[in-house]
Amino acid sequence: MASILSSIRERVSGFVGRHKNAVTVVIVLFLVALPWLLTSAYHLRVATLVGIYVLLVSGLNVIIGFTGMFSLGHAAFYGIGAYTSAMLTVMAGWSFWIALPVAGIVAGLFGTFIGLATLRLRRVFLAFTTLGFGEIVRIIILNWRSLTRGPMGISGIPVPQLFGQTFDGRGYYYLALALSVITVMTLYHMYHSRVGRALIAIREDETAAASMGIHVFGYKVLAFTVGCFFAGIAGSFFAHFQRYVSADSFANLESFGIITMLALGGTGSIIGPVLGSTILVLLPEIFRFLMRYRGVIYGLTLIVVIVYRPGGLANVKGIFEKPKLPKRPHQKRFGLFRRGPAAGGLS
Amino acid sequence: MFIQQLINGITQGSLFALLAISFGIVYGTLRLLNFATGSIYMVGAYFGWIVIHYLTPNLFLALLSGAAAGFAVGFVLERFAFRALRGVARIASLICTIGFSLFLNEVMSVLFGAERKSMPSFYAETAFSIQGVDVSMLQIILIIVAATVLILLQILIYRTKLGLAIRAVSLDFKTASLMGIPTDRVISLTFSIAGAVAGIAGVLAAAYYNALFPFMGNLAGLKSFAAAVFGGLTSIPGAILGGYLLGIIENFAVQIISSGYRDIIGFSILVIFLLLRPQGLLGKKSD
Repeated sequence: MASILSSIRERVSGFVGRHKNAVTVVIVLFLVALPWLLTSAYHLRVATLVGIYVLLVSGLNVIIGFTGMFSLGHAAFYGIGAYTSAMLTVMAGWSFWIALPVAGIVAGLFGTFIGLATLRLRRVFLAFTTLGFGEIVRIIILNWRSLTRGPMGISGIPVPQLFGQTFDGRGYYYLALALSVITVMTLYHMYHSRVGRALIAIREDETAAASMGIHVFGYKVLAFTVGCFFAGIAGSFFAHFQRYVSADSFANLESFGIITMLALGGTGSIIGPVLGSTILVLLPEIFRFLMRYRGVIYGLTLIVVIVYRPGGLANVKGIFEKPKLPKRPHQKRFGLFRRGPAAGGLS
Repeated sequence: MFIQQLINGITQGSLFALLAISFGIVYGTLRLLNFATGSIYMVGAYFGWIVIHYLTPNLFLALLSGAAAGFAVGFVLERFAFRALRGVARIASLICTIGFSLFLNEVMSVLFGAERKSMPSFYAETAFSIQGVDVSMLQIILIIVAATVLILLQILIYRTKLGLAIRAVSLDFKTASLMGIPTDRVISLTFSIAGAVAGIAGVLAAAYYNALFPFMGNLAGLKSFAAAVFGGLTSIPGAILGGYLLGIIENFAVQIISSGYRDIIGFSILVIFLLLRPQGLLGKKSD
């Protein structure tokens, strides 16, 4: 199985490498023409949903994949973005185009705050704390009726307008496409910049990074903020796309879905989140009988990817890889229990 | 009112304590967090319900069935999710248990439906009253069963040869294996025992709330993790104390603030303790 997969992957990457420009043009043309290729409005909605998840998963990738911090509460920031945008447009009457960046900034600020409070924790505890934060956000949304209308949710969120034209399905699709292209491009440049290298250094070895003069804590908070900013943008878009928000859309299950997509695509890769979200959003839609087993598929995917293919589809050296220890016969059995940075660096 | 809340608190605290100890045993031995603890609790509840619904309405048989189911799930989980991941970053096995937890929840909801199932009420008659507060027989049984399990665990870990092996593995895996302790089997047993405890907690919870549903374990699991951190994750008495305290604090806090915010208390305690006193109330500083 693994050898078949890798040979397919080699062929694909070889082909893409040889015809780079042609492949790019085909993909761009396909994505631009997609609204005219899809006949039903429902399919277009699904394609738009893929765009939202690309934003969410790419944002989480900055936190988990680049920097190696395990945030399990990403749906909370998604929800904060969605609610901010919904409240600003419905209750304060703002325009969508102002509410969108503001929602991103608000979610980013929450990310900064949570980051400042929790980033000193060790990895597994950070994971549980952010999970707890996700649950706290959901409970507050449900109970703070005067602000969020509680369990009823906020409905009647206005449809965005551009040049006096109200958005239709295609408008939403193109906006989602634009947002995800901007996100992926931004993160690509971030990854290959000084900031990205600093984040990767922190992921690989915090102590070494610090001794190289990298401000570890500052960069960690920055990564958290950036990741949450994109979640907020995704949330704002989702609110105006769905035109209704309620706390149920942002439960922990949603965070786990986002993590599954990230793990499947490959943590720490730029294209991984795009692959992961596309596959896991489309799969249950293409095979309708799988819809009932959606959660089962997510769970299995997560287990199989982590146990058998920690690099995900993109197969980069992600966060789940085994640490590189000197090879010894019993290395596999004892690696975990080794003390010191050799094995402890990742734990 | 005070006594009412205290008794409710102790009853719920018993459930938290059982789950907290399930987290604690695994963390204590392997320094791993088993996110699927809540789902094992749910599976236990379903297996208890199966016995009551299809075979015989006997709570104690249901408890046995739940414990067996939990034991089996714990065993499978260790085999497939943890053994393959030894030597990998600990976070990988945490994420893997999240996958397992999603999988279990969804499989149960496909098999039995996502809606609530009702559990017949057991021993609903009043055992005794203190100052006008009725304490049901079920509450007494629940508290006693939980306490028995906790005491048995304590004996198992500190008084038996298996317990000695578990403690040896938790102190130093490598040396333990050099001393001839079958470490793989010990770890496997530890997981299974932790699973069985969670399964018992699930059946007790289903009987106490008269209901079970596929996602009942999510919040319960998270809150008991908070309880375990509260008391001290590496200390068994600490986890028990944390469980009971969380149950009591929650019930009193509901009186003061709105009941909608009940579930926030556990998480606030979790965050505060992780930041200010990560070793918990009774834990040792070194870890």
